[in-house]
Amino acid sequence: MSKTDSFTHERLTASGDTTELERIRQFVQDKAREFGFSEQNIHKIALAVDEACSNLIRHAYQLDDSKEFFVDISPNDNDTLVIEILDNGTAFDPLTVPIPDLNQYAAQHRKGGFGVHIIRMVMDAVEYFPADPTHQMNRLKLVKKLS
Amino acid sequence: MSKFSIEQKTNGSTEVFYLKGFLDAHTAPELESAIANAIEAGQHRLVVNFNDLEYISSAGLGVFMVFIEEVRATGGDIKLTAMKQKVFTVFDLLGFPMLFDITEKEEEALAKFSA
Repeated sequence: MSKTDSFTHERLTASGDTTELERIRQFVQDKAREFGFSEQNIHKIALAVDEACSNLIRHAYQLDDSKEFFVDISPNDNDTLVIEILDNGTAFDPLTVPIPDLNQYAAQHRKGGFGVHIIRMVMDAVEYFPADPTHQMNRLKLVKKLS
Repeated sequence: MSKFSIEQKTNGSTEVFYLKGFLDAHTAPELESAIANAIEAGQHRLVVNFNDLEYISSAGLGVFMVFIEEVRATGGDIKLTAMKQKVFTVFDLLGFPMLFDITEKEEEALAKFSA
């Protein structure tokens, strides 16, 4: 059985509540493990998705648990896992966030702004597509290759 | 349900925090309160022991960023110790070892305060 036979496309529906993060990480870890990633990369993928969803829940959804978003996971060919996070919040392209300057952030007592940097460092590709007339939801696409 | 907990012990003039479980955007406020309370009570020598921490996201790292300048301004520090590789990886990704004193063992962190 090839790896792509194990699953095709899976969706987790989550709400704008930080208690959801644990369930999201578990979902992503299970799928990444099933796909054949090393434990080190399973951790990195779950971390990236956690960071993206944390930002979404806290900023775009303002901790409003009546709002839903989706975490979609699908294999692309035999060697690539694609994770898409779809939301209905105000469009915000995380790729516009600058690389954090630690000393400056410490001086400013800033506790946020690191998540996007982590996502970019641990994933192989990150793309953002704001909602448009044909796509109702904003979409953050995270890509990780097996090797 | 919270899969995160903190135990605190006072060791001389140093406050040691023992973190357990999963530190993410949901549980980070609990740590932020605990550290804020210790600082408010006059403690500026803080050691955070990560031995039983299984997971950290940037929300957890952000907590240390909030307080580091404040405690250093009064001659104290926040020293981080006993991290599992998986947890250290996250600190390392963001370059935290440049800004924070991270030791392998708690005794080393405590010794640095008494040096």
